[in-house]
Amino acid sequence: MLRLSLISNVLLALIASLASAQESPYFVTYNHHMEEPGNFEVAINPVFGVPKQGNRAVASYLELEYGATGWWTTALYLDGQSTSRESSGFTGYRLENRFRLLMKEHRINPVLYVEFADVNGADKISKEIVGFDGWRDFIEPVAESRHEKKREIETKLILSNNTRGWNFAGNLIAERHLNAPPWEFGYALATSRPLALAATAGECRFCRENITLGLELYGGLGEEGHVTLHETSHYIAPTIALGLPSGTTLRVSPGWGLTGNSNRAFVRIGVSYEGRLFR
Amino acid sequence: MKRAALLLLILASTCRTAQQSNPYTGQTEAVMAGAKLYRAHCASCHGAAAEGHETAPSLKTPRVHDRSDAALFSFLTNGDLKGGMPSWSRLPDERRWQIVAYLRSL
Repeated sequence: MLRLSLISNVLLALIASLASAQESPYFVTYNHHMEEPGNFEVAINPVFGVPKQGNRAVASYLELEYGATGWWTTALYLDGQSTSRESSGFTGYRLENRFRLLMKEHRINPVLYVEFADVNGADKISKEIVGFDGWRDFIEPVAESRHEKKREIETKLILSNNTRGWNFAGNLIAERHLNAPPWEFGYALATSRPLALAATAGECRFCRENITLGLELYGGLGEEGHVTLHETSHYIAPTIALGLPSGTTLRVSPGWGLTGNSNRAFVRIGVSYEGRLFR
Repeated sequence: MKRAALLLLILASTCRTAQQSNPYTGQTEAVMAGAKLYRAHCASCHGAAAEGHETAPSLKTPRVHDRSDAALFSFLTNGDLKGGMPSWSRLPDERRWQIVAYLRSL
């Protein structure tokens, strides 16, 4: 699985080098920037998890995103995982839709996010942290956890603002199993800024205008009837993105657990390519 | 009355105020930078020479040229989400002004 993930990353980078991206540097937090209408984005995002106990794992998701209209972006995610000394495999899929609620740019721009996920208990991509998610979820043997079916609905209220080159984004997350309450809650906060705001006249690859730095903070907020920070997990994750003129964006984000219930660390890597599907 | 004033205050705080003049007017470097940004973000719809495609109109028309810099900047910022033009607010203000400088040079 790890080998497959690495090979697909290299292939994606090679394909992309044939074809300027200005993608968000965030992995967990969403902002109000939608996929351009008619644009298609393909991305591979491996996540290396370092739990406090148990085996290390790498999960990865293939993201296929399409800008249906200027205010509606839809995406399909295919998830997989590989746990050392255990097994590898496909863990499920997710269907995501984002709807921009205001058609003009405002100080605060709301977006509604709705996702359906059909994954099993071995899924470890940790694309968001909700409820009382924590390091113990990572130590259950894959042979057992993969039999657990999770059909979930997830909603997010995304609020985002651009000011003087900075982006500020906050997400309030609510998630529940389709046939098993309660709702679980989480949050994600982030900010980012390109190293240079104006573009230079010449073509460049590794120049400041192509590099965006950011910081994410995310975690769980308990569940319906028990909203709390106690026994929840929280992470802080600096992130860096390099947008290449080819349409490719490379992103890296090491994240560290902040509470006793958190995993020790995550390292997230992303390679994405964006282009037009129809002309 | 107090409620109406409060509502107005909230509405005013959510509306963005844009700079009215292009800080890059007359700067060749900015036009070149704008051309680069145009190739990266706009050419796939509007054409390499801004001649337009089926999906997006030409940018060499009086409809574009007769607009003020501030109006072009505002259109780039907000887009026309229902009409198919995306919002380019993801680009910093400086880069959107550079694109406006390039559009003026066409």
